[in-house]
Amino acid sequence: MTEDKMIVCRCEEVTYKELLETADKYDCSARELKLRTRAGMGYCGGRTCRNMVDKMASTMESNKRTQTTLKYQPPIRPIRFGDLGGHEK
Amino acid sequence: MNDVIIIGSGPAGLSAAITCANKGLNVLIIDEYLKPGGRLLGQLYEEPDGTWWNGINESAKLYEEALNKDVQFLMNTPVHNIEKAKDGWVIYTEDNTFNTNHLLLATGAAESPIPVPGWTLPGVMSVGAAQVMTNVHRVKPGEKGVIIGVNVLSAAIAMELKLADVDLACLTLPWNNQLTEEAAQPRKVMESLLHVSHMAPSPLVRTGSKFMKNDFMKKLGITFYPKKGVKMWDIPIQLRKAVIEIYGNNQVEGVTLATIDTNGEVIKGSEEHIACDFVCIAGGLYPLTELAAVAGCPFYLIEELGGYVPLHNTRMETALKGLYVAGNITGIEGAKVAAAQGVTAGLSIAKDSGVNGLESEIKKSIQSIERMRENAYIQFHSDVAKGKRILQDQWKEYKASTETVFL
Repeated sequence: MTEDKMIVCRCEEVTYKELLETADKYDCSARELKLRTRAGMGYCGGRTCRNMVDKMASTMESNKRTQTTLKYQPPIRPIRFGDLGGHEK
Repeated sequence: MNDVIIIGSGPAGLSAAITCANKGLNVLIIDEYLKPGGRLLGQLYEEPDGTWWNGINESAKLYEEALNKDVQFLMNTPVHNIEKAKDGWVIYTEDNTFNTNHLLLATGAAESPIPVPGWTLPGVMSVGAAQVMTNVHRVKPGEKGVIIGVNVLSAAIAMELKLADVDLACLTLPWNNQLTEEAAQPRKVMESLLHVSHMAPSPLVRTGSKFMKNDFMKKLGITFYPKKGVKMWDIPIQLRKAVIEIYGNNQVEGVTLATIDTNGEVIKGSEEHIACDFVCIAGGLYPLTELAAVAGCPFYLIEELGGYVPLHNTRMETALKGLYVAGNITGIEGAKVAAAQGVTAGLSIAKDSGVNGLESEIKKSIQSIERMRENAYIQFHSDVAKGKRILQDQWKEYKASTETVFL
């Protein structure tokens, strides 16, 4: 396997190459990089690749020290779909 | 309703629970893992005085003490959200919702991944996972492994694997790319290892480190670092080689190792194959702060503490009323510091719950954290004390800025 095919986001199977090229082409923020490639938007909620996607974004946001660029949203752990929407037991 | 809810049953959470219970509070601990103890469970090492620190025993002692004081435990239960309510906090788990006025986040740390081509093959795991398999579940992660990433944590776990009779081919560096940063640069790795040289039984590393206090010597040290590596507990440590690929058909069968120059660049034609059936990735630890982020805590990035930490004062109070932090969520340090922080957090919570006469006890407990830090045998970052000073400055600045807003 070459480094190009190396997976960064396991859930959505986004490669290192795909992220590099997208970051390069659109000169984008971490959030935009995430939305364009779906890296960090899979089942685990970005628990493995969040920091990597953040590092690969080409533009540095000015508030980088006081705030992570990719924000956290609940649920921060996978939960059953029924529990999310409410269901009859 | 519980007087206090603690998320995380590691050394910080358990110590805080015992402290709160001692002061007459009714405590509930929630943890996503099946056994209490957190990452303390995996620890096993020999102290300088020759006694052994066995995390399973230490965890059991704390757990027993908490149970004797009627602390309630809810294990196997991930918290997926917390919310500030009119008075107090709401804690959401999959099956239940809890309310409390005092919420302590003692969620610990998580491991940073280092991506390597082939790292999604079965048989590749984080070094912490190998530690849990070996020390907690007593299952061998494999017959022969390679550890990618040379740092305090991976060196300590390598020794534990050795104790469990698991064969390690070597500890080595990751392939240098945009994501590996300093972990792939021999000189940076060497620098970070120097402050733990007292742990090294290898005379070369130990005596060598005395001569490498300045930058020039460090560079020289890495230039002359033997290409075959040095051995620590009989395990080769390769700072001049990097794994460029993990290969195998359906699972790990081996790694491709290449020689690298002092800046981490691969020297073409130096590739060799090493057969192994498991690979550990050791990217270091960062504070696990998701819940503090969801709650809306202000943060600050402090490299010396391992990453973004929620702002808090020396009493372990965050900027949000009724929300406290203790343990590795406040910065990467050892279990003894975490436990001391748990005591302080517990006392602060007791005071805020209306228990009187705790002021001098709180002050003493804060001093005890500092003492633990100074005497720590394992330090994950050499400048952790500096990181804590930066944090306190940021706290003061934040407090000053919010007070002006309300004037």
